[in-house]
Amino acid sequence: MSMTDIPAMKIGIMSFAHMHAWSYAHALKGMTDVALTAIWDDNAKRGRAMAEQLGVPFVKDMNKFLAMDTQGVIVTSENVKHRAMVEAAAKAGKWVLCEKPLATTVADAKAMIAACRKAKVGLGTAFPCRYIPAIKAVRAQTASGALGDIYAMSCTNHGQFPGGWFAKTDLSGGGAVMDHTVHVIDLVRWMTGKEFTKVYCECGNVIHKGIGTDDTGSLHLEMEGGIIVSHIASWNRARTFPIWGDVTLEIVAEKGVVAVDAFNQKIGVYSDDVGKGFWAYWGGDSDQGLVRDFVDAVRERREPAITGEDGLRAVEVTVAAYASARSGKMVAI
Amino acid sequence: MNVAVIGCGGMGTMHAHIVRAIGLNVVVCADTAAAKAEALATTFGADATPNGIEAAARKDVDIVAVCTSTPNHFPFVAAAAQARKNIFCEKPFCRTIAECKEAIAAAKKAKIKLFVGHVVRYFQEFEAIREKVQAGVIGKPGFVKTYRGGIFPLGEKAWFHDYAQSGGVTMDTIIHDFDWIRYVFGEPDRVFCQAIQRSEPEKLDYSLATFRMKNGIIANVVGTWAHPGGFRVRAEVCGEKGMVSFDSNEAPISTMMRAKPGEGATMIVPESPVDVSPYELEWRDFIGWIEGKNTPRVTPEDGMAAVKMALGALESAKTGKVVKL
Repeated sequence: MSMTDIPAMKIGIMSFAHMHAWSYAHALKGMTDVALTAIWDDNAKRGRAMAEQLGVPFVKDMNKFLAMDTQGVIVTSENVKHRAMVEAAAKAGKWVLCEKPLATTVADAKAMIAACRKAKVGLGTAFPCRYIPAIKAVRAQTASGALGDIYAMSCTNHGQFPGGWFAKTDLSGGGAVMDHTVHVIDLVRWMTGKEFTKVYCECGNVIHKGIGTDDTGSLHLEMEGGIIVSHIASWNRARTFPIWGDVTLEIVAEKGVVAVDAFNQKIGVYSDDVGKGFWAYWGGDSDQGLVRDFVDAVRERREPAITGEDGLRAVEVTVAAYASARSGKMVAI
Repeated sequence: MNVAVIGCGGMGTMHAHIVRAIGLNVVVCADTAAAKAEALATTFGADATPNGIEAAARKDVDIVAVCTSTPNHFPFVAAAAQARKNIFCEKPFCRTIAECKEAIAAAKKAKIKLFVGHVVRYFQEFEAIREKVQAGVIGKPGFVKTYRGGIFPLGEKAWFHDYAQSGGVTMDTIIHDFDWIRYVFGEPDRVFCQAIQRSEPEKLDYSLATFRMKNGIIANVVGTWAHPGGFRVRAEVCGEKGMVSFDSNEAPISTMMRAKPGEGATMIVPESPVDVSPYELEWRDFIGWIEGKNTPRVTPEDGMAAVKMALGALESAKTGKVVKL
């Protein structure tokens, strides 16, 4: 059966507050067996503009949007709004792919999982980093046992300051630690097959004066089996940095050491029109992999590969990291 | 000026060459491993002895270079001070704070110059970073991150392998970074550290440390003795207006020698030659201090502060608790 014979899965997008909505929308539009059916946004101006650009209807009323014949929705709102939208979507019987972090509190994340379970719909957490080719290749190494036991890892997820609601904690739930911890936490869980047990965190607003939230965090974690992990979550890349940031992991294992710089597939671009040199990434499109799995999950009525529980585990670590920063102690997760 | 080199391993040998290059004389080489002392002494036309205490006290010696294993720094520093010799002591200064204090007191009492070899302060790339930071190019700094290390080091009687003696990569290698961070960013308030310090099946150490400085700056240091080969140094500083960074892998020379028949593939060795070795710069600084021409970039108190940071990191790694410094 060719793809064109399959009825298209109808997917909607809830909120364009998070810039990843744009890349997910393009991933959906690039698939022959998917129809990006409608867009809803609590910011009607933003939603309308996006809908117009994407050539998709904008639906102003959330209930009307959820009453449409879509089978799944992608939630890409501000972090603190995830719960209400996911619960509403679940109640309407939609499969949900939720932007990371799944939630800003453990209670919210658990409630979202429970709501989806009750409604018998699948819930996925948007951790596209699992679909980066370099990450997939290293996961294959760790999973095959080629590296032997893993002893330690040092990781980073640096980025530029995103501004806007990301720095408003009533919408984001936190700063760089909230934004840039969960991707790597998920990757490390995935690569090791183990859970985090403890975290210590130093964080603060040390780079961008007066933004009102942390822009740099240094985390120290322990996992089951005694694996030690450090992680830098930051918004400390300058605007003039040649690329948005990075995801890096160094894995110290029994049989060797692997250093991963996940987005280090780039060309140097030097244009007098731009005024500074920059790096253009040419590697694989991880959003494609993430959205492909979600669409397949919707079609097959199964859980997405990266589940709500995966999202919850990362939220637990992040929330514990902030608790550690407040108490000055290593805390149990 | 005449120099006694105590400890004729890798660092002793290197310093002997520097000493000669700047016009000083190596007159005696001491090492409990007599063959090592003999070998180095032959190169320099110096005397060889297994007795470092005697070598340090020789009448014709002006400077004692202490290049032994870390726990042996203190006895030789103490002996050299007692004999009123100026002292060049490799880092880490001493293995304990009590020893550092006693060594500083002994040097004061003897009115001799005591220098601790925190050579990273003289590395051109680290100086370039410091200059940019201090010139305000990146605005107020808020975050610093360094990375240092490679293969597990060899050592006479494998003393590096005994974590109780060497303190592993934390005490022996990233103490360089601890010192440099304090040099550029001020006093540390607290440290959290994790270190694997494995002995079986293979000797591997990997250390992850975060300092919170008194001015709020967050400093992260990764040290490795866990790699199968190579050596890499990275550093970056982020501020409100920008960032400076360095990676030793980006070197001007990468050499890969063709293997001889029967040998396996060789490794790429990056090389970054400089006009003046940082080790020569630290010796010139030390000699200038002795001659009353300048104050040294590294004081013994700096050496002690770096030991305190490393001991704090090791205590944190052991207890799983943050350590106030």
